[in-house]
Amino acid sequence: MALLEVENMHSYYGNIHALRGVSLTVEEGEVVTLIGSNGAGKTTTLRSIHGVLPPKEGKVIFDGKEIQGTPAHDMISRGIAQSPEGRKIFSRMTVRENLEMGAYHRSDRDGIRTDMDRVFELFPRLQERIKQEAGTMSGGEQQMLAIGRALMSRPRLLLLDEPSMGLSPVLVERIFDIIREINAQGTTILLVEQNANVALEIATRGYVLETGAIVNSAPAAKLREDPKVREAYLGEI
Amino acid sequence: MDSIKGSSWQSRLAVVLIAILLVALLIQAVANPGQFVSQLLIGITNGAIIALVALGYTLVYGIIELINFAHGDNFMIGSFVGLTLLAGFGIFAPISGDSGTFIKILGVLLALVVAMVVCGFVNVAIERIAYKPLRNSPRLAVLITAIGMSFILQNIGLVWKGPAQVPFPELISSANIFPGDAIIFRWKDLFVIAATIPLLLGLSYFIKNTKQGKAMRAVAQDKEAAAMVGINVNRTISITFLLGGILAGASGVMFGLFNGITVFNVGFTQGLYAFTAAVLGGIGNLTGAVVGGFLIGIIGSMADQYIGVRWTAIVIFGVLVLVLVFRPRGLLGDRSAVQGGGE
Amino acid sequence: MVKKYALPVVLIALAFLFPLIDPLLEAVLGKSLLFSAIVIAVYVMLALGLNIVIGFAGLLDLGFVAFYALGAYVTGWLASSHFKQVSFSFLSAAPTETVSGNAVPGIHISFWIILVLAGAFTALCGIIIGAPTLRLRGDYLAIVTLGFGEIIPRFFQNGDDLGGFNLTNGTIGIKAIDSPGLPFLPDSLPAWQQFGTLNLNPWYYTILILVLITVYINIRLRDSRLGRAWISVREDETAAAAMGINPVTTKLWAYALGATFGGIAGAFYGAFIASIFPTSFSFNVSILVLCMVILGGMGNIYGVILGAIALQGLNFYLLPQINTWVHRIGDAVGSPLLSGADIPKYNFFIFGIILVLMMLLRPEGIIPNRQRQEELHSGDDDQSITDAARA
Repeated sequence: MALLEVENMHSYYGNIHALRGVSLTVEEGEVVTLIGSNGAGKTTTLRSIHGVLPPKEGKVIFDGKEIQGTPAHDMISRGIAQSPEGRKIFSRMTVRENLEMGAYHRSDRDGIRTDMDRVFELFPRLQERIKQEAGTMSGGEQQMLAIGRALMSRPRLLLLDEPSMGLSPVLVERIFDIIREINAQGTTILLVEQNANVALEIATRGYVLETGAIVNSAPAAKLREDPKVREAYLGEI
Repeated sequence: MDSIKGSSWQSRLAVVLIAILLVALLIQAVANPGQFVSQLLIGITNGAIIALVALGYTLVYGIIELINFAHGDNFMIGSFVGLTLLAGFGIFAPISGDSGTFIKILGVLLALVVAMVVCGFVNVAIERIAYKPLRNSPRLAVLITAIGMSFILQNIGLVWKGPAQVPFPELISSANIFPGDAIIFRWKDLFVIAATIPLLLGLSYFIKNTKQGKAMRAVAQDKEAAAMVGINVNRTISITFLLGGILAGASGVMFGLFNGITVFNVGFTQGLYAFTAAVLGGIGNLTGAVVGGFLIGIIGSMADQYIGVRWTAIVIFGVLVLVLVFRPRGLLGDRSAVQGGGE
Repeated sequence: MVKKYALPVVLIALAFLFPLIDPLLEAVLGKSLLFSAIVIAVYVMLALGLNIVIGFAGLLDLGFVAFYALGAYVTGWLASSHFKQVSFSFLSAAPTETVSGNAVPGIHISFWIILVLAGAFTALCGIIIGAPTLRLRGDYLAIVTLGFGEIIPRFFQNGDDLGGFNLTNGTIGIKAIDSPGLPFLPDSLPAWQQFGTLNLNPWYYTILILVLITVYINIRLRDSRLGRAWISVREDETAAAAMGINPVTTKLWAYALGATFGGIAGAFYGAFIASIFPTSFSFNVSILVLCMVILGGMGNIYGVILGAIALQGLNFYLLPQINTWVHRIGDAVGSPLLSGADIPKYNFFIFGIILVLMMLLRPEGIIPNRQRQEELHSGDDDQSITDAARA
């Protein structure tokens, strides 16, 4: 049984029909990526799965249970966490407070400490900045914090929205190394990424989203070979 | 560039004006130190009452950027609840100045607690009915419902106690604590200060150290991110209104006991004073609201003494206008009232 | 073309014929409606003035009463014996000499000139108040205007001793304000030579014409370049600025024009009531006028007129009527609470409920302005987090 199964999901922004029947599955332990151009509905898909923008139609099945319609704040205790687009860290809280907020629904102090140490192992830079106000950090550091904060809930499924946005190529590579590491430690990942090249490099499978609908899905290696995908998303003519 | 230049001459002018005012006050202080110190103490006491209401404005503004116009009227409801409770409901004898000390203390405590609870829930109910459905509407739409709620509460007060001023029982002595009458600081004043301090400390502890307090700060900074980490945004907003209402309730009872009267429209002026305090301190900033409250209290009492009681309201509304025009961030604030700035 | 003008023509004709119909109504209802019609018309003018500020430019003004008060005091100052130190008359319909042949003390200027002066003065005040404040964000601007709305009447209340100078006569107010008039008319038209209290027709036609002028200017403004600039500033100030529209100047125009109409309405009201008190200009007036604009439909001229008539009608007729009914019920049931109730006192309870319900259920008002309707509802969808959190 798949960890996450999305069936024929429709979502709207007001009158705008943003998702027109998206279906996808994520198996336990996978890294699945969603690629597509700007405005194709990648972020909307994540927001709809997460309940931030509840879908009007369709099913979201997580771990065998239907969860569409569950409010966003209840998703984290079910095991879904998100590092949102544009990072959305709490800019006037310190790094430590941000990470603590990530574990907001938990009360096992020891477990939280262990997880914070794990985040610091992944992102040593965050430990150096532990007392710094998050809003004063660089974009890369804020991205690390956003991922770290999501990890603090010990999620079974991590939704990652554009982790490479606005980062230098060197930093992108490092972030993706860490994402691979997080996956290796047992977290399933659904990754939305503009930078299809890198995304398909670390993903098991990929979906191609166009104007609110899935147009192609295949193992990542296969998608990388697909001439259409190469042309549209990998920057080759 | 223009605005930077502009603000520098404005701030220089403001510094000069404030300096002149302070020198004038200093001259008065030297001429009659007893009167000055007494007036300062009254100002601090009034300021405490204002600060508690100002906190309610600032808490709510901090979290949903709404000027909760009905907040001052909730303060009035607090004073009415306290008054009704002290009158005994027919269950027990009215508590008055002649009651025994123990009964008086019990009565004051009971009035405070009940008013805090009632006002807390009134505030939550207002938010649920009038503000929550408009969470995504233009800002002005919510402000207009807030004004509507203010008038509704005021008229509830009008039906409840009528249009005239209603007297509060004199439960706390107006005798001077200090011997002689060179400096006047009454037991009443001491009561207000003594009741305010634990409330302020409690609030500060709640916001800084409890999980719920942290959730409030998180929601104030980014609602979507707060929901993503598992914070129930609506519940957190309700709790913010609850806290504001609790403080307004306490303040309403203290106002009644301190001034000996209350009236159905007391919330309008007091509410505006408190809003001025919140803006002066920097709206959204809790420390700012307290500092602003004490400053407005002192400005008011100084205006009472040295300009004339009938000019006090004009002076304070003048402060409101000047602060909003020349320093909308307030003294300590970090939110900008000017479009496109801050946020 | 015919269809487009039919309704306004009928309405205007009815308005002009109203004084003829009034005696018939008086026979039925037992009282003349002319006095209240005049007050309602004053409020229509106020509401149309505020409509420019709120409806067209989208600025929430909570201190509109300030301009109304300023206009009324201009009449008080320039058409009464308040300033006893001087004696100056100019084209006034009021007598220039006392019975004993002395010059009448005070300033007495023709009402028609005062209307213009009051408009100009309040426009100036609007600019002075607006220039530094209009760059503020909407809710802060609302509070600043509220601050001015509170300061000005309080200043009038305390203005009887400004370093010894009596500017406003304090709480007593300015009394015995001159009646307007058209002294050059033949003696066969005495009611028009000097407006009196027995025949209200001249007052009625004066305010009716003022209202019609206001409506005309409102329509012209709405369809003008300035009107379009207001819409763009209201919808997106940054984008408007990028298109070369100066937001502050644009808003200042709205604020000053609104103030002008408020001031002229005040000037007329001062002359009509003949005595003015600072307590007549409380925050409640600002809210009443705001309620009219919101109930009728922000930005819609017909809606605003309807809102004003409806709410003042409520004040003048419906509430006293309900009061009588409640008293009768009270007498029948034997409840002293009901038979002694004073329902009109709670009118602002109703206005409060109107504000809340309109915003919750129909923010665009009874007769919506199409553009406004879209703006007020567009917000419903663009965010989703609260939908999520609503559960």
